[in-house]
Amino acid sequence: MLDFTFTEEQEMIRESVREFAQKKIAPIALEMEKTRQIPEDIIKGMADLGLIAPTVSPEYGGQGFDAVTAGIIAEELARADVTGSIPVFYLVQASWGHIFDKYGTEEAKREVLPNVTKGKWFLGIATTESDAGSDVAGTRTTIRKEGDHYVVNGEKMYISGVREAYTRGGGHITIAKQNPELGTRGMTLFYLPLQSKGIIPTYVDDLGREGISTGGFTIDNVVIPKHYIIGEENRGFYIVHEGYEYARGLISVICAGAGLQSLERGKKYLKERKAFGQPLAKFEALQFRLAEHYTKLSFLRLGAYWALWTYDQEAKGKATRFEVSKAIAMAKMFASEWSNAAIDEVMQWQGAFGYTRECPDQAAWRAIRSFAWAEGSKEIMRVIVSRELLGKEYISYK
Amino acid sequence: MNILVLVKQVPDTSDVKFDERGVMIREGVQSILNVFDQFALEEALRLRQKYGGEVSVMTLAPEQAKTAVQKCLALGADKAYHISDKAFGGSDTLATSYALSLAIRKAGNFDLIMAGNQATDGDTGHIGPQVAEWLGIPHVSYVEQVLSIENGRATVKSILEDGYRIVDVELPALFACLPPTNFEYTNPSMSGIIKAKSKPYTWWKADDIDGDKSKFGLNGSPTRVLKMYPPPKRSRGTVFTGDYHDAVKKIIEALMEKKVIE
Repeated sequence: MLDFTFTEEQEMIRESVREFAQKKIAPIALEMEKTRQIPEDIIKGMADLGLIAPTVSPEYGGQGFDAVTAGIIAEELARADVTGSIPVFYLVQASWGHIFDKYGTEEAKREVLPNVTKGKWFLGIATTESDAGSDVAGTRTTIRKEGDHYVVNGEKMYISGVREAYTRGGGHITIAKQNPELGTRGMTLFYLPLQSKGIIPTYVDDLGREGISTGGFTIDNVVIPKHYIIGEENRGFYIVHEGYEYARGLISVICAGAGLQSLERGKKYLKERKAFGQPLAKFEALQFRLAEHYTKLSFLRLGAYWALWTYDQEAKGKATRFEVSKAIAMAKMFASEWSNAAIDEVMQWQGAFGYTRECPDQAAWRAIRSFAWAEGSKEIMRVIVSRELLGKEYISYK
Repeated sequence: MNILVLVKQVPDTSDVKFDERGVMIREGVQSILNVFDQFALEEALRLRQKYGGEVSVMTLAPEQAKTAVQKCLALGADKAYHISDKAFGGSDTLATSYALSLAIRKAGNFDLIMAGNQATDGDTGHIGPQVAEWLGIPHVSYVEQVLSIENGRATVKSILEDGYRIVDVELPALFACLPPTNFEYTNPSMSGIIKAKSKPYTWWKADDIDGDKSKFGLNGSPTRVLKMYPPPKRSRGTVFTGDYHDAVKKIIEALMEKKVIE
């Protein structure tokens, strides 16, 4: 049976998050471009409401939310924060909090997750390196076992939330090669506290979503205890993709939400702004563009929630890993492009104002552009879908 | 301390439109918890934190008002009573307050009943005082804060047009509450929303409450709404444009011309 309605509880969640986000986040969003941080009272407000890593189980301070419910929160945050900073802060911790909760050791979960859900620490993901992005197999960072602990060496780059974890506390779920000769079957995932001895952070100047830092860090003989291993040794490559799928699903909803919200602003502008004696909304050429973008983004939104729903079905044993990968990749494939095209159109309607820093849509445009590669590039999404359609024997890079 | 809060679901009046007959267009208008009631609830929850006890909420409304009641439970109320029946259709404030007073008697003994001073749709401010009269207990309206509760008495701050008064009142009593300007309403937390699902929710029909049924609904309502009309639209007024100093000068001249100032 097809049923496109959310549950009563999910509707209440949406309403509460929307009220909070529109009241507290929307008015200060553009300020984050200048201050380059998320205000502390917003983080506290999110933590008080239970919006940080709500995918984590209640015994570790989370809400135990499924992917669809996590998506609802992501959409509302994206509709309020045009800079995309808070959506990134949210999606990274929701996705990797879920993975930590699912595969982390009891000892590590008790130590880390309550601090994350309370907003004290930041939990991120660090797989990307200067020469290894979507091609995780190209990772150079290594991890070796020494007695009852592990030693890590290497470097990570283009990582969200480096400053947050380095200064507030917390760390990143990190991937490294434990048995390089085994290729993807020799990679291990672990929790790396960024305040560990041997971590040196660096920062990059991002084009958008300035409220949250992007950077990298060198890892010089960093010692981590055994209980920080996430999942089994040498299984990291597979677990990390599960986390990326979660994040990709949330990104798809964020792109839809941010784009639709931009169209809302655009609609208002078209009705108010007059040219040649009538409102811009009376011009059919603009009406058609509005209709087209709205339709595309509505389908994107539906597809994104469907993909997250598929993720939840896997947990119930009703979908396979491959079905999830394909659904998520289909949702994310056009997410950034379609959203950016809609926002670009709204900037165009606003003429010269659309090209100023005062225009919220330019911030949204820059933020959404990042999602064309973040957590898996749009090209990789095509690789995944075609792999599922044609079979592994036709993978182009093998 | 057992507290009952009376609540109502109302249309979101921030975006209300009327048709040509002056009737409000309800289509597409979101329904929300009356903000005055939410303030009363938040004040009740504050009192519970201070004095202990339980906070219940009650509404007399169609089934769809459940979302507003659920919000109260998500905000922290312990249990809910929802009285819903076609027999209550067309009730004015007298019939509504009568039915509510019967339901309150059935629900148990409350030390304190709180309600919003008025609802943002009807804006009558009748329900609180009328319920108190039916129950034969004292009431205070325009209550901004319950200052203290001691030895079966409460001291409250009640707002007047030009100031406020401190009222000492014997309990049980009913307080119709008025939020202070810039009151920061709480959003239900995620865990509150989850917990709300498992809190006691009691449904009552007209037959479940004892009383004179001829006083229910339209039959029990001495008032009739004959016509509704929105207030006349106000003109935009005069807009003074230009440089700040010029504009101020023009405003002063205009006010002097109309002899508002000399």
